[in-house]
Amino acid sequence: MTRAPSWPAAGILALTAVAVLAACGSAIATSGTTGRTVLTVFAAASLADALAATESYRSATDTTIVLSTDSSTTLRTQIEQGAAADAFLAADTANPDTLAAAGLVDGDVVPFAGTLLAIVVPSANPAGIASPFDLARPGIKVVAAGARVPISSYAMTLLENLATLPGAPAGFVAGYAANVVSHEDNVRAALAKVELGEADAAIVYASDAAASSAVRTIAISAQANVVATYAAVVPTTAVAPAAGHAFIKWLAGPDGQAALARFGFEPAP
Amino acid sequence: MTRRLILISAAGILAIFLALPVATLLGRAVGSGGLVAAVGSPAVLAALSLSLATTAASLCLIVLFGTPLAFVLARRRFRGSGLVETVVDLPLVLPPSVAGLALLLVFGRRGLLGGALDAFGITIPFTALAVILAQVFVAAPFYVRAARAGIAGVPRDLEDAARADGASEAGVFRHVMVPLALPALGAGLVMSWARSLGEFGATILFAGNFAGRTQTLPLVVYAELGSADLEAAIAAATVLVLAAVGVLVAVRLARRGRAVDLASAG
Repeated sequence: MTRAPSWPAAGILALTAVAVLAACGSAIATSGTTGRTVLTVFAAASLADALAATESYRSATDTTIVLSTDSSTTLRTQIEQGAAADAFLAADTANPDTLAAAGLVDGDVVPFAGTLLAIVVPSANPAGIASPFDLARPGIKVVAAGARVPISSYAMTLLENLATLPGAPAGFVAGYAANVVSHEDNVRAALAKVELGEADAAIVYASDAAASSAVRTIAISAQANVVATYAAVVPTTAVAPAAGHAFIKWLAGPDGQAALARFGFEPAP
Repeated sequence: MTRRLILISAAGILAIFLALPVATLLGRAVGSGGLVAAVGSPAVLAALSLSLATTAASLCLIVLFGTPLAFVLARRRFRGSGLVETVVDLPLVLPPSVAGLALLLVFGRRGLLGGALDAFGITIPFTALAVILAQVFVAAPFYVRAARAGIAGVPRDLEDAARADGASEAGVFRHVMVPLALPALGAGLVMSWARSLGEFGATILFAGNFAGRTQTLPLVVYAELGSADLEAAIAAATVLVLAAVGVLVAVRLARRGRAVDLASAG
């Protein structure tokens, strides 16, 4: 027959439970006990380095920035599912516009930065890629981002522009598509595969290329290159919307623009 | 009375916590009405067939190389056998992302063996072979552990009796050991399959994500979430939940069968 647990056993069980709960509680609470403003920022993966280097803003406003980076589309899905973000910084205007159309945005969509695209290859360039047209050469391994990651639509425009240039090989865009071996979750994951040498090339943002010391870039003619527009919104899921608006205003202002410029970003087109 | 109430409610909280997310997922899948269409979508179908093909290949490799390893671990005591057991158990507790990174460092193009393989024109990352290697790495321990326990549980005197009657070593293995250890081997195999089917972290790091080539069902769940297609993600997730439930039922039935066997034998 089973018996109810004896008092000492129940006591130990209860004490353990209290201890575990206390430990968990303090671990969860440490992020919020400082009295500083806590700003939760959902940002495109390509912004990771630039946002990690915003000490001046953090110290001037006594703000702790909690950063979540991924593909802008993944982040948008998370916000649609109710994730609390005080600011959403996307690598395009489409994702913030979609949120705005769904009534999930507080205020305006603010374009705050731009960046050109770049073709990166591992520093050693094992495939000997010399021009953008080599991306369509048979046997080259190219990593791309998923079809709905913002970089992919910019990259498609770039490829179509390249295909119209004199000297472009026939079927350039199809040749590129045939060389894609993986659709990574976001642009940083694609960059990492090139840094590791597992892929021969990838199309990324110029700001990503500038941030990496393990890759080099293949020149793209100015007439073919594409400028990506980054746009920010304060989602209605924000816990500290005022802090979100203040941060986006700072990013779009002279200090924020200077901080972004250090990481290869340009003003919004 | 109160003590009992506390015990039951404390136990119930975790049970509900474990059940609620899966039940909600299945509820959404059924409630949306688009489940059949979503399961039939090209992305999910391609991933389903890739998952079935790669897990089948992984299981073959696991049985082929795992059974001898389990036999050695169950029947031979040797210097360093504890180390081998630890190595076999390690993937069970290792985060899959660590497994993926480690596989990349060995089989990647600049990896320990990858350079030599590259010279023969073999590149593993971004291929179905990489998916299989990732699955074998994370799932083999489930089979080896179960098989080792099953083989260790076969009474030695039954084998000796068979030998005394003139059975060869191969005959003892085939006609005594395998039949007696079969429920354990089967349970291990089923758990191994489930782990292979669910493998995500090592796969996305090592094999990449390409529909029809390396995008297995768990990768569809993640990729479709990234493309804001919740229905397809839920459909792929539902297939995985149903497979997982099937596995657990199969293991329970195998265990029950074994208990009946032992009872009738005793």
